[in-house]
Amino acid sequence: MAAWRERLAGVRGVLLDISGVLYDGGAGGGVPIAGSVEAVARLKRSPLKVRLCTNESQKSRRELVGLLRRLGFSVSEGEVSAPAPAACQILRARGLRPHLLIHEEGFSFQNMNKAFQVLMELENPVLISLGKGRYYKETSGLMLDVGAYMKALEYACGIEAEVVGKPSPEFFKSALQEMGVEAHQAIMIGDDIVCDVGGAQRCGMQALQVRTGKFRPSDEQHPEVQANGYVDNLAEAVDLLLQHMDA
Amino acid sequence: MATRRALKAVLVDLSGTLHVEDAAVPGAQEALKRLRGAPVMIKFVTNTTKESKQDLLKRLKKLEFDISEDEIFTSLTAARNLVEAKQVRPMLLIDDRALPDFKGIQTEDPNAVVIGLAPEHFHYPALNQAFRLLLDGAPLIAIHKARYYKRKDGLALGPGPFVTGLEYATDTKATVVGKPEKTFFLEALRGTGCEPEEAIMIGDDCRDDVGGAQNAGMLGILVKTGKYRAADEEKINPPPYLTCESFPHAVDHILQHLL
Repeated sequence: MAAWRERLAGVRGVLLDISGVLYDGGAGGGVPIAGSVEAVARLKRSPLKVRLCTNESQKSRRELVGLLRRLGFSVSEGEVSAPAPAACQILRARGLRPHLLIHEEGFSFQNMNKAFQVLMELENPVLISLGKGRYYKETSGLMLDVGAYMKALEYACGIEAEVVGKPSPEFFKSALQEMGVEAHQAIMIGDDIVCDVGGAQRCGMQALQVRTGKFRPSDEQHPEVQANGYVDNLAEAVDLLLQHMDA
Repeated sequence: MATRRALKAVLVDLSGTLHVEDAAVPGAQEALKRLRGAPVMIKFVTNTTKESKQDLLKRLKKLEFDISEDEIFTSLTAARNLVEAKQVRPMLLIDDRALPDFKGIQTEDPNAVVIGLAPEHFHYPALNQAFRLLLDGAPLIAIHKARYYKRKDGLALGPGPFVTGLEYATDTKATVVGKPEKTFFLEALRGTGCEPEEAIMIGDDCRDDVGGAQNAGMLGILVKTGKYRAADEEKINPPPYLTCESFPHAVDHILQHLL
């Protein structure tokens, strides 16, 4: 497709979503998506700058990088933008003392109810959500994501959450800054049509959706978001990038 | 207002209208007997997500109300009727005490989700199973969408937040079956041969009982018992057809003016 050259020639930096693009989580940690280990290695050998941009909030950045390395990816903590460190910055800056509804605690009724009661007792309730994804993919199938629980608490308390992580523009901007690349020179590759693709495009980036992870065929006819391209997997995206980028 | 036809049916709310917790509203049993002497059909309609008809009936009998099971129509009945009309096999996210109202309904290999107030079922694995069914196109039927309710230990999340979360995750809308939905009132009259214009509703909840009924084409009488608070009648437009002290007054009005 000649159009690919037009789209990809000026790209200087690549933001990669992790879950559903590099690997699918599941029992025992997960499995790499076919071709992705090699694709990441090829990207990192190329002149393109690369950064990983995830909404992962079920494990720490260190655990996530440890898992990726066990799966064969050569990545380091400093290359990963994740919502928890970003949320910590916000909490410190505003002097907030959070009630933590995070993975160790689990989305049980009791824990949700505790968070609800905390919010209802605050004069100015602040709800910070690490991402607002609808669902994600595990090897066993699609899984409800934090967005559903964020919406539940918003509805119960009549408030609006502050989202840290994708698709928040601040999160993408800080990832771009870390990479030292302007939005118009960057491309996001992800499996979430709304959070990855829509979010990156609103920041002035291009974005590709991979047909792995949580991808569903109906995403290609999404009523609001149209990716700059759809590829079968990360390996195909990297092939196209390396083929069409300016030498 | 459109011309009204002769009154054929009277819908009566239970909690707050016939009784407040474990005490009958004074004079309510005798008033019900007087109403039974008139040529009208009587239905008892209520929003409940955890009390089966049997449970409701037991309580009413104890308070010496003369009521039979087939006169009771609840939000659970409405959900069951919808499940039968759609010919689906629901996953039931409802309180175990409500299960008798779904007796005989196929729930193996589910292709629909019915959700009520069921804290013990609102854990991740169950909600995730519901989520996967919805993503495959199963309809979501909600008994109601209350945000929260009052418990002895403070406020607690109602079913509404969990319905909303599932709606968001799957980009679908739930069908809500309880009061004040128009379909609830129409469903309560189904099979009676009686039109909404021939029915009147008596209840203590201005929006859910009176507003809902009037929105469905019925008349609504607001009683000042149960959850009634001063000036509640100003909450809806058009206002209630009538606001009166209690159920016996409402019955007297019907007997004197509407028959």
